[in-house]
Amino acid sequence: MSTKSISYQGRISPLQPALFFAAFAVFLIASTALAQQTNPLASDPRAARAGGVIFRGQCATCHGADAKGISSIEAPDLTLMWTQPGMTENRVFTRIQAGIPGSIMPPHDFPDTEIWMLVSYLRSVAVTGSTREFTGDSENGGRLFTAHCIECHRAGISGGSLGPNLERITQRRSQAALRSSVREPSSSIGRGYKPIILSTSSTPGVSGIIKGEDAFSIQILDSSQRLRGFAKSELLSSDRDIDSLMPAFLEGQLGDSQLDDILSYLHQQR
Amino acid sequence: MNQIRSSHQILRRMVKKSSALAFFLLFPALAAVAQDDSGPDYTDILQGFADPSRWLTYSGDYSGKRHSPLTQINTENVASLRPVWTFQTGTTTRGRGFETTPLIDDGVLYVTGSNNYAWAIDAKTGRRFWQYRRNLPDDLTYGASAPVNRGFGMLGNSLFMVTLDAHLLAFDRRNGEILWDVELADYRVGYASTGAPLVVDGMVITGVSGGEYATRGFIDAYDPATGERLWRFNTIPGPGELGSETWPDDPEILARGGGGTWMNGSYDPELNLIYWGVGNPNPDYYGDSRPGDNLYSNSLVALDADTGELQWHYQFTPHDLNDWDSNHMPVLADIQWQGEPRKVVMVGNRNGFFYVLDRVSGEFLLGKPFTATTWAREIGEDGRPIVLNDGSKGCLPDPWGSTNFMPPSFYPELGLFYLTARETCATFVPEEPSLVPGQSSFGGVVFIDPEQGSGALRALDVQTGELRWEFTYPSPTFGGVLSTAAGLVFAGDHEGNFMAFDAVNGENLWHYQTGSRIWGAGAMTHMLDGRQYVLIPSGTTLTAFALPD
Repeated sequence: MSTKSISYQGRISPLQPALFFAAFAVFLIASTALAQQTNPLASDPRAARAGGVIFRGQCATCHGADAKGISSIEAPDLTLMWTQPGMTENRVFTRIQAGIPGSIMPPHDFPDTEIWMLVSYLRSVAVTGSTREFTGDSENGGRLFTAHCIECHRAGISGGSLGPNLERITQRRSQAALRSSVREPSSSIGRGYKPIILSTSSTPGVSGIIKGEDAFSIQILDSSQRLRGFAKSELLSSDRDIDSLMPAFLEGQLGDSQLDDILSYLHQQR
Repeated sequence: MNQIRSSHQILRRMVKKSSALAFFLLFPALAAVAQDDSGPDYTDILQGFADPSRWLTYSGDYSGKRHSPLTQINTENVASLRPVWTFQTGTTTRGRGFETTPLIDDGVLYVTGSNNYAWAIDAKTGRRFWQYRRNLPDDLTYGASAPVNRGFGMLGNSLFMVTLDAHLLAFDRRNGEILWDVELADYRVGYASTGAPLVVDGMVITGVSGGEYATRGFIDAYDPATGERLWRFNTIPGPGELGSETWPDDPEILARGGGGTWMNGSYDPELNLIYWGVGNPNPDYYGDSRPGDNLYSNSLVALDADTGELQWHYQFTPHDLNDWDSNHMPVLADIQWQGEPRKVVMVGNRNGFFYVLDRVSGEFLLGKPFTATTWAREIGEDGRPIVLNDGSKGCLPDPWGSTNFMPPSFYPELGLFYLTARETCATFVPEEPSLVPGQSSFGGVVFIDPEQGSGALRALDVQTGELRWEFTYPSPTFGGVLSTAAGLVFAGDHEGNFMAFDAVNGENLWHYQTGSRIWGAGAMTHMLDGRQYVLIPSGTTLTAFALPD
């Protein structure tokens, strides 16, 4: 226990937490039997802060300073991991401690306290979506979803693929962000949904979303939801400076209460 | 500790060197015949590309030009280049790459891989003779985060490889058995080693990684026969030593000043100088605790090969705050410079500038940006950068830099330097770290703008540093470069394409999608049974290309 305290105290020295640490030590002793099952620091807001310091020193190089990952090195966005089915604090603890075999994620020989602090930090930055109650009419929402959205979006078993799958979306995005995506879909377009219009001599004016590209080719899902690959050398034109393929639903077309209904419907699909 | 060799030894070596070289220059045809099963000696390596069936050192020769004289594959026929075989390593490095350059002698390829695997492979078929796998400790430090390796060194029947737990190994190349194993440094502190050992006369030279930890970098020379250490050059001076005045007066800070030496260097046998790049000071992004230039971090050092003594240094990025290690392959060439013949060393640096230095004296000759870096306006006549933006005024090239260790090439007849450029945008937020042995201490965080980022293969005129041509890639790229005397440049990109270009104008002549990004590796080429092969590692696969039979 004493070695743990030295290492822990050393690392978060900017916070000068002598008392703070003592409190944790007591906490830890009390909860040793439960270690590996539940986060003994879960109720202490200081744990997330201390975990953030550790995270920035030890994890940020790969997972990004904001824990949102770095796609070029395949380091995942950790703020979204809690929405994965079956993801628990215990599992996160084990992943940090044991690493992920076959990947660059190494095992970490940190004291348990520090790993729990990291878990607390990751909890604190988790994208948890809407906490507000959904008070809309979900039944009507389902009808509206089928009328306006299902051609491009999936929620549950049926739906299109041109836009993101909206299953569990209310867990990952706030209501404000979801509203903005509906009202102003071009203001922020995620990777994998960037729009393009391209032409070849045999296929003029194909619009779609970019799924991948290299120096010589481009892979798209076209607006009829067909996967298509093109050699860049056969393109007569390509225009990326265009609006999202998702139409903007303004209030005149879809009122606030109707939008509430759709969000309530989606919330039920979780 | 430096061990100075006797003048007798040095004289003996000089005689041996010059007579053997003269012999093979006069009778080049005999070079191939002279092979026997004792393997290549120093004079063979010294001849570089003279024997087209061989590639005996990381860059093909000591100069680091990575420019092969082979011409069977040319601008007319390269479009029909096709894979002949692939070799699957079965060992991955997620987040990094298969960074090695294979060596070849007598029809056998010697290849190192990720996680300290290594193989001997039949160059004709891609079939394996032997495999080596090191049992690595489960508490690796830096070596766990970048479990890569860039290649073997070779001498006689011995191969030399460094390890992720910071050892140097000698192998019997006939069966992959270990001849000796020496520890370079304690991996538990943060050391690892990933470069290709450089074999010069009577010495194996290597360095270490670990500048993200509380380590102190060095370049070591070992006896190839016994593994005995012959000299060590510490890249961060000790208290009172020359260069220590560029650090705070604190032995503890010097003892963990960083300055990794993880990329192998080049060698000028006439000057008997080793050229080697030095990495970032530690902590990487937090500089308040280390005011001063922090020599010899982010420098090129020229060392006497016999003693390891520093002859000169040039610091590219004084007081680095951006992790812009200068661990690049220094490219040596004899060129006309402003009407006079000049021995130069050229470096495309992580800080975004292309440099030409006099390699006899270290004199600064040219420094021109090759990416859209806002770090410095220019390099002054005194060789110091006129820094505009330390990161607090808008974005800078990310910590991976405007280029990195992926090898460039130099085409002497065209006077063009080919390198992979990375255009990125990063914001650095320094934060005072705590320094715990075995734990990384970057000293802050970096925000990289995911919406901004691209790559390019660029051809620079070495007289001016100006861009002659470029071929752009959709994302920042880590692939290396090879050029050949047939007017070709081979390059790899982050999307997995292995490509050939017209060296004069950059026209793309051929490409092949390897299926995984090409990261850190440059291609190599050799002749076998009258056929020219070009090899590139990508993902977990080594692929050999040749023209149709």
